[in-house]
Amino acid sequence: MSYRLRPWVSWGLAASFLLAVVSGLLASYPFHEAFPLISTVGIETVLPFGSFLRAFHFYTGQLTFLLLVWHLVEALLNHAERRRPLWRWSLLVSTFPLVTLALFTGYIVRGDQTGLAAGQIAEHLALRLPLIGLVLNRLLFAVAEEGVHRAFMAHIYLSVGVLVISGLWHFRLRAVRLEDLAVWATLAAAVSLVLPVSLEAPSFETLIKGPWFFLGIQELLRHLPPWLAGLVFPSIPVLSLVFFRLAPRGLALVLVLWTGTYVILTALGALR
Amino acid sequence: MKRYLLFLGILVLALVIGREALRHRAPKVYTTTSGRIEMCLACHEEKPEKAHAREVVGCSPCHLGDPLRIDRQLAHRGIIKNPADLRVVEKTCGQPACHPGYPERVKKSLMATNRGIIDTLRRYWGEVPAHAPAKRPGETVRELMLSGETSLALDYFRKLCGTCHLWLEKGKYPGFLGEKGGGCVACHLVPGEKAKKHPVLTRRIPVENCTRCHNRSGRIGLTYQGLYEDEGYGAPLVEGEFGAETLEDGRFVDLIPPDLHYKAGLTCADCHLPEETMGDEKEYVHFEESVEVTCETCHGGQGLTRKGRRHPKVMEKEGRLVLKDNAGKEHPLKAPDPVKCRHEVHRRLSCQACHAPRVPQCFGCHVRRDPRETQLDKLAGRETAGAWEEFRSYMRYETPTLGVKGDEVLIIVPG
Repeated sequence: MSYRLRPWVSWGLAASFLLAVVSGLLASYPFHEAFPLISTVGIETVLPFGSFLRAFHFYTGQLTFLLLVWHLVEALLNHAERRRPLWRWSLLVSTFPLVTLALFTGYIVRGDQTGLAAGQIAEHLALRLPLIGLVLNRLLFAVAEEGVHRAFMAHIYLSVGVLVISGLWHFRLRAVRLEDLAVWATLAAAVSLVLPVSLEAPSFETLIKGPWFFLGIQELLRHLPPWLAGLVFPSIPVLSLVFFRLAPRGLALVLVLWTGTYVILTALGALR
Repeated sequence: MKRYLLFLGILVLALVIGREALRHRAPKVYTTTSGRIEMCLACHEEKPEKAHAREVVGCSPCHLGDPLRIDRQLAHRGIIKNPADLRVVEKTCGQPACHPGYPERVKKSLMATNRGIIDTLRRYWGEVPAHAPAKRPGETVRELMLSGETSLALDYFRKLCGTCHLWLEKGKYPGFLGEKGGGCVACHLVPGEKAKKHPVLTRRIPVENCTRCHNRSGRIGLTYQGLYEDEGYGAPLVEGEFGAETLEDGRFVDLIPPDLHYKAGLTCADCHLPEETMGDEKEYVHFEESVEVTCETCHGGQGLTRKGRRHPKVMEKEGRLVLKDNAGKEHPLKAPDPVKCRHEVHRRLSCQACHAPRVPQCFGCHVRRDPRETQLDKLAGRETAGAWEEFRSYMRYETPTLGVKGDEVLIIVPG
């Protein structure tokens, strides 16, 4: 069975990613990472077009993530892993956890209840990693001691880095068409007009929820030890993708089962 | 296709610009003195009293809502008008940073449960066997509100007594009934200056707040202030109108000498302890179990209540006991007369037996229920079948009957 990648998904992904990075860079000017929540509220309530800019950045980021998942599924159906050497395929696969991490750090930097929860959980999980945990935490999070400074840097470096490197190497960034940018910008702008981006004030609530795509891991953390729920479980799809060529049918089944489990866990977490 | 997309893009852009032009923006990010963001202050000008100053507390810790937004709809999501309502009080007044522990205590207090009224009614009306325990499940105001359970006595309670409890939503009913209830603010709220646009929360509970409810049965709240609920018929008539003073609910009152504590400027909350009014974590059934301050607490008792608790306002100043009232005024406390009060023949007399020479007494109390009519069930908030009417034979303001309870001689007041 042959499957062709849909160009509008691929170019939509590139356009959304570019829009997310550009709008993020614009939003970063009035943002002061020393006062994350005050800055975010300032952008939202004081800065002209600020709430629109923030929502636009948020929704283009979400589009990037969703289109990346779609693109990844299409690539697997297209047997893209067979046409590339392992190292090259592994690098392509790595864009998925890197973009997820960029998206995740974006939640941390806003400094609200969700961001605080996300930062704390991520820091605790990173510190559980053997050998590299401490270094990884110092590079990406360290929110308990230093606030959102490192998460902010990671958010910018990861987003710009992945865009530039994949834009030079995997697709031609300068080939992104103006029409594609306009269509995806219109879509994100329309959603931004209708759905305000969440921003929760810190509270005494004992039930805190992280970003939506993190709810599954958060739910699993209630039942399994952190190294299993926060390290082994999320590594399953990444490793399955990297070594997909070795046992395509078996690993496809693993990916389907993993995704199904994660959807159920996310639903359970959301309903709490 | 391209033309449609272009049109759509221009339309969305126009909407973005139009919305921005119409949008109210804050001049700055508002924070409290602790650095917490309170964007409510960008629009709201209300000024509560010092203890809850807007610059210190802000609005959202009490009224909830979303303090990070300025769009009316978003900012007001989940907002509550009365933070002291017992349904939400754990998230507001009783939150860990403010007054923790109080909601749990208050919810067990008699003013929140009304257990005594319910138990007495059901027992006297024969709905509960004499040997039944006084504390029965399902027989508190809140439980009756949720269960909808009713009987003849409970129907009477729901319709005639159902507004004198802390679970009543403030402002739910019109007129003077709307002033009652509201959880903590049933006692702790007084009107503020109009210019400040916010009522005042106070620990100095005025007598009027207590007597919104405590004005029937023994009429203690009225007598304390020097008011006697008489028949009167509104007499004397002045220029064709009723000349007598009236209470908010329309009852006529005559002026009588007020209690000397009232004359001295003491309010109910100067004598009654927080453990009595707001509960001491125990769930009592009757008032006499809950109340612990006695005359002897101040007069000859060295400031100890009958439960052995030290009265927080009784203290020693220059070798003598004084009571420092809520307004900060000190009242020297007189010891009981060593001859009259401590004489062996008066050993069994309660203080009131001598010091309450006249009390209001309501004789011939009876009620009637008309099943053809409907009446507002104040716990359910809707009209239900059966309308109650109260009658009495006559009111008197005279020397009370003395009776014996246990080993004590008390006054007995029909009310």
